[in-house]
Amino acid sequence: MVFNSLTFVVFFACVLALHALPLPWTAKKINLAVASYLFYAAWNPPFVILLWVSTVVDWYAAQGLVKAKRPTSRHAWMLLSVIANLGMLGYFKYGQFLLDNFTSLISAVGIAYHPAHYDIVLPVGISFYTFATMSYTLDVYLRRATPAQNLLDYALFVTFFPHLVAGPIMRPTELVPQFAQPRRATAEQLRFGLALMTLGLFNKIVLADSFLASAAERVYDSDKIPGALDAWAATLAFSGQIFCDFAGYSTTAIGAALCLGFAMPDNFRFPYAAVGFSDFWRRWHITLSSWLRDYLYIPLGGNRHGARRTYAALMATMLLGGLWHGANWTFVAWGGLHGVYLAAERVLRVRFANYRPGPLAFVALGLLTYTLVNVTWVFFRAKTFGKAWVVLRGMFGQNAAAKPILATFSLLSVAAIVGGILLTHWLMRARTLESVIARAPAAAVSMIWALMAFAIIIAQGAGNAFIYFQF
Amino acid sequence: MPSSTSSSDGLRDARAGTPDRYARQTAADRPGVAQPVPVRPVPAQPWGRILLGTVLLLVLLVAGWEEYWRAYGARPGIANTFGLWSIQRRRIDAGEGAATVLLGDSRLYFDIHLPVWERLDGRRPIQLSFEGTAPLPVLEDLAADPKFTGRLLIGVAPDVFFSGFKFRGAAVGYARKESPSQRIGQWLSMHFIEPYFAFDDPDYALQTVLARQPWPVRVHQRLPVRKLAMTESDRNTYLWSKLETDPEYRTIIRNTWLNHMQRWDDEPPPAAALKNEKEQIERTAHAVAKLRARGVKVLFVRMPSDGAYLEFENRKYPRARTWDALLAASGVPGIYFADYPELQGYELPEWSHIKHSDAERFTGELYKVIQRDFWGPNAPGVSAKASAAR
Repeated sequence: MVFNSLTFVVFFACVLALHALPLPWTAKKINLAVASYLFYAAWNPPFVILLWVSTVVDWYAAQGLVKAKRPTSRHAWMLLSVIANLGMLGYFKYGQFLLDNFTSLISAVGIAYHPAHYDIVLPVGISFYTFATMSYTLDVYLRRATPAQNLLDYALFVTFFPHLVAGPIMRPTELVPQFAQPRRATAEQLRFGLALMTLGLFNKIVLADSFLASAAERVYDSDKIPGALDAWAATLAFSGQIFCDFAGYSTTAIGAALCLGFAMPDNFRFPYAAVGFSDFWRRWHITLSSWLRDYLYIPLGGNRHGARRTYAALMATMLLGGLWHGANWTFVAWGGLHGVYLAAERVLRVRFANYRPGPLAFVALGLLTYTLVNVTWVFFRAKTFGKAWVVLRGMFGQNAAAKPILATFSLLSVAAIVGGILLTHWLMRARTLESVIARAPAAAVSMIWALMAFAIIIAQGAGNAFIYFQF
Repeated sequence: MPSSTSSSDGLRDARAGTPDRYARQTAADRPGVAQPVPVRPVPAQPWGRILLGTVLLLVLLVAGWEEYWRAYGARPGIANTFGLWSIQRRRIDAGEGAATVLLGDSRLYFDIHLPVWERLDGRRPIQLSFEGTAPLPVLEDLAADPKFTGRLLIGVAPDVFFSGFKFRGAAVGYARKESPSQRIGQWLSMHFIEPYFAFDDPDYALQTVLARQPWPVRVHQRLPVRKLAMTESDRNTYLWSKLETDPEYRTIIRNTWLNHMQRWDDEPPPAAALKNEKEQIERTAHAVAKLRARGVKVLFVRMPSDGAYLEFENRKYPRARTWDALLAASGVPGIYFADYPELQGYELPEWSHIKHSDAERFTGELYKVIQRDFWGPNAPGVSAKASAAR
């Protein structure tokens, strides 16, 4: 089920009530595990089997790793986990993509091959929970962590509903220890958790779905040729939409976990105020970028084997990171562009090692970063390269015959909301949400909280899925 | 990839300029190590009082919003969602395959009253029509479903039917893939939200209300259709009384239709439109043939329209080219309202739909015509008509 649904409201109320009952800690954990399976089954019950497969394989792989005496055995257990998880991911997410590319490839050399079309349904959140379970086995393999003490704690780590389908991607060392001792939210945690959930849902339902999504759709999902204003407005709208959608999900997830007494890591830190691309990736989808860094970039050599190897590892990581987002070459291009940006930044940092920007240059570099990030969003949002080129040409004023697409209200909405997001990110770039709330008058906190909740209610969200569910 | 510079470095308190006491590291700051249990501090605030204030203010705001829309004339009703449609569609799977199904656009949807039909027929029909949506996708879905063996009344509004316009065309796909969560959400909403809140209607959603303010015109878009009808839990639907009582609102709707007609006149090019019409007719005939092959009784009905709408339809979709061609291609009989005195003379406030009280009377008259001429035990030669049409 999605957070922005009535079903979740009732589900979450039941979970909170059950968690507050004076039951033994093990019983409460079983409640949470059952609730998490129900949360997932509410989309498509048979796919719970995939969760079990992922859970059981990694549980036994980690046990095998601990018991293994020889390095080859350890290696084999690790490979079992990686192959099982990536195999599942590959089949469900990339099966049709691989088949289509194979067909195109052999057609190019003159062999006619027409395979049947497989209508493979992508299990919600499979990219997230396979990465979470793989990190468990890989941490044990890399001797960074010891296996969980019991299967229940481990299964709950995998399935814990706040992070299950769209992150933040949690590591076992972040969550499993929280299951060792009884946890129940204090009254303050419960209230702050509810406030965070409201903030997250406001981002998703009001800003992303109600105001920004339609501007992006009208340009990206139509066959009309956009001029500069429409192309930029649609792309800026999507930059705001995807932030509000995904950061909104993360904030809601963090709030839901806090209501139950659990802590989840930050996933976003005002990324549109980033100055440079390494800064951007420390602020955007932090749990994915750090996962890719720890389990892909560093094992590929990281920056320990000279410049050439570093750039190769960087590009490989970003290309695969792009592919993780979806089975389409446009996502690979998106990742590749970010890889190029990061590599170029690295070169410039070496070349101008002593450069320290003044305040104006700092802001200018931040805006340049945001502008270039928007160029990458074109490939992320467009379904085809053809569409991406059309929008890019529009953004650079090359679509001479373009006619207006977006209505005045759409343009004003995008300007107000995206402008507001940018301003907020710059004001907050060196602050935390908590410090700002702590300093605010209590009445102001009440008023903003109530207004956000009111906006959620009167926007009448239609329970649209979060964008990252498809990944 | 992240360098060694931390995004958490140097976080400052908002006003005091001192280090932020809530600052914490993230995984971005700790490369290549096991990540510790996260820190999730709660800002120091009187959260009990804050929550109380929030709830009180929220109740006041929602009550004010509800009052505003009630003063406008809105009343609680059931939302016309895909979920609600799916409930009716599932009735065929759940043992009501022999029922009468009503399938069309908004005219069949608003103008047929299920309680009146049930009173006359003894059985409540299944209402599968959708506003602004040609019946073809659902017709093809029913044709492919062997569980459906009943009777099918297909509404024909020329502009929608022969253009294949699909404002709500995703209903069939939704019903097939509806998740347990969506089903539960539909049930919760129609039992605990929709019957009590008048503002819970897409026409009063925040972004919809803002978007229809008089902004400077940049693009001449098709005007969105304002609220037209009230729906009940089994999709019994009727024209909203505001269209009878509020001349200003009636004018808004009429202007919307005029705007649509203008755009319809402009696009698409006639050749493409004619080709499309032909395709709609052929696909309809194919689906109807499949249904009739397993004994389903099919009947087309051209529901009443009036004023500028009727003039537009007659001009843009002349009867001989559209309606007559449809009956000839499908071999199915049809009721054209203009051919039956008892189906004329009703009040259509915005030219396209019959007002509530008249629609109840119209349903009774239509049912009598259907029984008398087509489906009743004494109907004169339905098969003869069909044969003649062939």
